[in-house]
Amino acid sequence: MSPTNVGFETVALHDLENASEADRDALPFGVVGFAADTIVQVYNATEARMSGLDPATVVGVPFFDAVAQCMNNFMVAQRFEDEPELDDIFPYVLTLRMRPTKVRLRLLATAKTPRRYVLIER
Amino acid sequence: MTDTSGEEELLEFLYACPIGLIKCGATGEIGLMNPHAMQHLLPLAGPRGVSNLFSALEPYAPELRSMAEAFALPRGRICDGHRIFVDLGPGRSGATPKVLACTLVKLGADRIMATLTDISHQVVQENRLRQADTWFATLLDGVNGYAALTITPDGQIAAADTCFARQTGYEPADVTGHNLADVLGTDLSGGDLRLDEQLAIAAREGWHLQEGWQQRADGERYWCQRLVVARSALDNATLPRFSVVLRDVPRRDAATEDVRRLLTCDHLTGAANRRHFSQIMAREQESWRELRQSLSLVVLDLDHFKAVNDTHGHPVGDALLCRVTQACSALLPPRGIFARLGGEEFGVLLPRYDRDQAMELAERLREAIADVVIETPSGTLRVTASLACATLDETEGSIEALIELADKRLYSAKHAGRNRVFVVETEAA
Repeated sequence: MSPTNVGFETVALHDLENASEADRDALPFGVVGFAADTIVQVYNATEARMSGLDPATVVGVPFFDAVAQCMNNFMVAQRFEDEPELDDIFPYVLTLRMRPTKVRLRLLATAKTPRRYVLIER
Repeated sequence: MTDTSGEEELLEFLYACPIGLIKCGATGEIGLMNPHAMQHLLPLAGPRGVSNLFSALEPYAPELRSMAEAFALPRGRICDGHRIFVDLGPGRSGATPKVLACTLVKLGADRIMATLTDISHQVVQENRLRQADTWFATLLDGVNGYAALTITPDGQIAAADTCFARQTGYEPADVTGHNLADVLGTDLSGGDLRLDEQLAIAAREGWHLQEGWQQRADGERYWCQRLVVARSALDNATLPRFSVVLRDVPRRDAATEDVRRLLTCDHLTGAANRRHFSQIMAREQESWRELRQSLSLVVLDLDHFKAVNDTHGHPVGDALLCRVTQACSALLPPRGIFARLGGEEFGVLLPRYDRDQAMELAERLREAIADVVIETPSGTLRVTASLACATLDETEGSIEALIELADKRLYSAKHAGRNRVFVVETEAA
């Protein structure tokens, strides 16, 4: 991952795919990567800190059912179902540690890559 | 280390909980909430934001705030499984209309725990069961419980049994050859369809069941389930005949009337609530599909109402909403429904009203609202409303589009300067 290309708004999906675990952990925003069946494959250290969850317990579970039910609606989860090509940024409110927290979300998906990403900026 | 993993386990538990949990203050300010609660609340809250539970749900359940305010005990259950009807027609892309159940428990002076659950599918099931129940009850009730008649396609009584005499007080011999609808006054307001309309559907689909008021020989009104079944003619010489089964349904005593009011009326104003509005609209949509019977919707929104609450406080705002409801309800036709749809937004359903009739009534509603006067410590308070009409004909039977069209026109009426009824451009030209 080139150092110029690691911004929340600018980082590309293939950069995230090619990055090492340590690289993704170093990013200042949350990175969650999951497969078409929503099973979590990537959960970086920043996101783990914000949510208070251990990545080990998150990886392998269905993201929108077990971890991020607050995104399980037409505003987020449904969009991954409906839009094969997706790159959008919008404000959202999460319940990190059960406190309503304003964040920005970036949804990333492309038909060429099986893994999809949600980026979370506090 | 044990502590950390304990907290993590607890967080994991709350993140995965399939019921919405919210902790808020007396006025609805949210302190804590889990992701499931946010899943439902965020899309509903829109620009009002999710910092306050009552504001977020204001357009769907304005009664929650007043229920919490009216709850006088220091602690206890404010409501249990209170139903919030999110969609008035079928939801997004034709899905099941969304219904949430909300429980509020007051824990202390400024502490409320709330739960939110999606019960949309349960509600659909209940409706199905209720229909089946009505049907079976009609069939299985004791022999004396129902009266059986044979009528001709134009509604004339050809034969009636002794149970008919017991139920209605009319001797079969005296009413044979008379029209059933005239004899029993079956078209008193409150029923779904007129007898001739029921006959039309039964002729096409085999049978039709509905409930409504009718009248005994001594003038007493009673609530009756009426099943009309088409009978196949045995030979071509006989005219087609219909069987009618009448079942006296003793309901509407004081206790059931209370329950009915609780389920169908808005807590504050006594206007119909969203749930009732939605049910009547679905029923009228059926009539539109089956008989092309017109249905008009008037939506109205009080102008600058937020300023009333901000300047004079919620109690004055509440009183104003009640007075507006009284003024408008007084102008309703017998089958009309006046409902509170959100904070200061109301809807009027007008079965069998075409657009011109609806426009005329909307104008009268506007005048009646402008005439409402409230005396407050800081002087006389008046209010105006913006209104708009739409008909099911215009949206080809779609409830979702009907509401959308009416709302769009309401917005235009607001934009054009408020205190007015939206007029379609072609009329103005």
